[in-house]
Amino acid sequence: MMVNQQQITKLSNGLTLIVEEMDAVKSVAYTLIVPTGIVHDKIETIGASLLLTELTTKGAGNRSSRELSEAFDDIGARHSESSSAYTASYSGSLLAENLDAALPLVADMVRRPQLPKEEIDNIRSLLLQDIYSIKDNPSRRVMNELTQLYFPEPFNRPSSGEAEGIGKITINELKELFERTYSPNGAVLSIAGNVNAVQVEKLIQNLFSDWKGEKIELPKFGPMPKRGMHHIQVEAAQLQISLAYPSTKFAADGYYASRVASDILSGGMFGRLFIEVREKRGLCYTVYLSTSSTSLSGVNVAYAGTTPERAQETFDVMMAELKKVKGTVTEEELSRSKANIKASLVMSEESSASRAGSNASDWWWLQRLRSLDEIQDSIQAVTFRDIDRYFEDYPCDQPMIVTLGSKELKYA
Amino acid sequence: MITKLTVHEKTLTNGLKLIGEINPAAKSVAMGFFVKTGARDETPKEAGISHFLEHMMFKGTESRNTLDITFALGNMAAKSNAYTSEEGTVYYAAVLPEYFGNLKEILCDMLRPSLDPKEFDVEKKVILEEIALYQDRPHYYLFENMSRDYFGNHPAGNSVLGTTQTVGSISRDEMLDYFERRYLPSNMTLVATGNYDWNKFAEDAENYCGKWQTGKVERTFSKFTFNKVEKNYKKKDLSQVHFAMLSEAPSCKEEERYPLGVLSVILGDGSGSKLYWELVDKGLAEAAEVDIDEKEDTGAMMVYAATEPKNLEKVEKILKRILKTPADFTEEELNRAKTKLLTRTVLGGESTMGRMRSLGHEWMSRGKIHDLSEYITSIKAVNRESILNALKKYPLTEWSEFRLLPE
Repeated sequence: MMVNQQQITKLSNGLTLIVEEMDAVKSVAYTLIVPTGIVHDKIETIGASLLLTELTTKGAGNRSSRELSEAFDDIGARHSESSSAYTASYSGSLLAENLDAALPLVADMVRRPQLPKEEIDNIRSLLLQDIYSIKDNPSRRVMNELTQLYFPEPFNRPSSGEAEGIGKITINELKELFERTYSPNGAVLSIAGNVNAVQVEKLIQNLFSDWKGEKIELPKFGPMPKRGMHHIQVEAAQLQISLAYPSTKFAADGYYASRVASDILSGGMFGRLFIEVREKRGLCYTVYLSTSSTSLSGVNVAYAGTTPERAQETFDVMMAELKKVKGTVTEEELSRSKANIKASLVMSEESSASRAGSNASDWWWLQRLRSLDEIQDSIQAVTFRDIDRYFEDYPCDQPMIVTLGSKELKYA
Repeated sequence: MITKLTVHEKTLTNGLKLIGEINPAAKSVAMGFFVKTGARDETPKEAGISHFLEHMMFKGTESRNTLDITFALGNMAAKSNAYTSEEGTVYYAAVLPEYFGNLKEILCDMLRPSLDPKEFDVEKKVILEEIALYQDRPHYYLFENMSRDYFGNHPAGNSVLGTTQTVGSISRDEMLDYFERRYLPSNMTLVATGNYDWNKFAEDAENYCGKWQTGKVERTFSKFTFNKVEKNYKKKDLSQVHFAMLSEAPSCKEEERYPLGVLSVILGDGSGSKLYWELVDKGLAEAAEVDIDEKEDTGAMMVYAATEPKNLEKVEKILKRILKTPADFTEEELNRAKTKLLTRTVLGGESTMGRMRSLGHEWMSRGKIHDLSEYITSIKAVNRESILNALKKYPLTEWSEFRLLPE
């Protein structure tokens, strides 16, 4: 299935460059993953890494904040810089002919940011507003609460940071965090689009080969918190129902079975949850299960939002479906889900941003690239036995449940 | 810069318009029905019926029940969905080329729904939940209310979702009547993009849709007259406040849409715009944006900001100061805005789904084929003079103001 050429180059400083040549597009996309993120923040100042990534965009190299932004706009590049739990990502999409002009800007931000002290309060204010905005949006808020209760510290930290910690961050702490975590050692730069791999490599050698830094280790994953049921009382039109329980790690044993299993429960409009909760009973508008995995852990998250009068039934039907799936998967469901995953894979080949992103994340978590063929073959190879073993190993027995709204639910 | 792809057009004898763009290098085929009916075509009593009907298209036909449709789409791994706006209703799906034959048959079948009474009752509950869901989202809550109050009697302000009351009282017979009036082939366009055979597509469309009853469908146009409105809405327990201003702007059929579209990017693009530097970069507003909402017979320039209560006054002052002199921009700002728009269009056109949407919307709203190079020429041609000329017609001096505040 794969026709695009890929080239992997490891620079001596630990940075990995991945280039995928795509002839059918005019665009190019890049993603640079830097090994910094919320898990590396001090417990007193959770959110420091968010502030730092934002601060790297406020002037870098010899360009001011505005000049940097204008340089991106001059070439029409759509770009974003953000931090999450484990990483900071610098990514963008643009016409391929402009890549030479965009990458020096990225190199400046991650290597030579000016980190101007006077910008800190402005960014702080934006981060706090994002926290307020989550508080005002019940569906986002319930997911935030679920993450905090489900994972062990520091993996449970809210992706928006914590208001109190954000208030305390100083420029010295940010400079220290920058020195410690903005390192090429373990960083991944993934480029996909209408480019020539040899030329890109030359450009990257020039921009990044003399970047130096230590290897940053991820924290160890501690024991999982005890799971139970939690309710947050607020007045709202709908009750938010969310729950989480374990799944496999990324690309580990059983991982491909987990992808198929997740699709059987919640793929497209034909997943069991959608059919049973919405199509047959009209209990809600949104209901889904999503499975996400890293090399450290995997989790299944299920969600539904519904008016309080129908919330108990919604919850009961969801739980029943999640529990009874083992041993009841049909031949048709299995082949439908495999086909669905295949279609998503093939269609992703039309998008340079999607190719750059998935190559970057493969390398970051696995230190290798899975070809589309490999993924496709692994999905095809999943059998009933694999699926049943997955449901046996990762049952929805004792999920962490968080509800938010005007009414508490009962869970037998 | 752009590889020219072949575009085909055909109109079936019953009036159904077919548009196709063939891209042999694409990995998929996307197909969509664009129906020129939406919230603006509803009577006050019918509010929400277009959107409700959109849901019913997935709920059974003469030969298939809900689950047959769901599984048939699932078995061909279709990425399918639908949406309704004030101006139109769109049903679409993308599949790998080997499934395109099946997709054509089922999507055409779906567009003649049986409106099964049992399914009608089940789906009504889903819609009521959707209404409740948006009640809990401050941003939508403001937009829904201000759209009604800004447009007043003009149908552009009609609510897509409708209300609990209107949706609650819509009957199956009323929906059937609406369907028979609005879903006639002369009011629909079928678009396909990607890697497929045009002749076979046109032949299949004739087979599946050629017998659809023909007839005339009308849309009532009315003149929008701007009246300055100022309104505050309240919601409990809000930590942020939301502010919006609206002024009259070109419709999707007027040439002024290009210069004013570029101007809206200069003023209020998500990053690097005037509002961005004065409000977001300074930490005063979490979001501050300018957009043009283009309808068929009118349009609105919309300014929006979300901020903390303590900053609202300051944010409003800054917004109003910037909008007082909209033409106060440099040549560099103008060029950057044009480059941004052009790049977005080219990148958006790289997926078959993206092209299908552009072709369908352009035909539905303007009766034209969306030609990428023509669009690029129109944007490139925008200069200070054309912006100033457009501002003569739409001066952006009068604004209605809306706020969502904590109760």
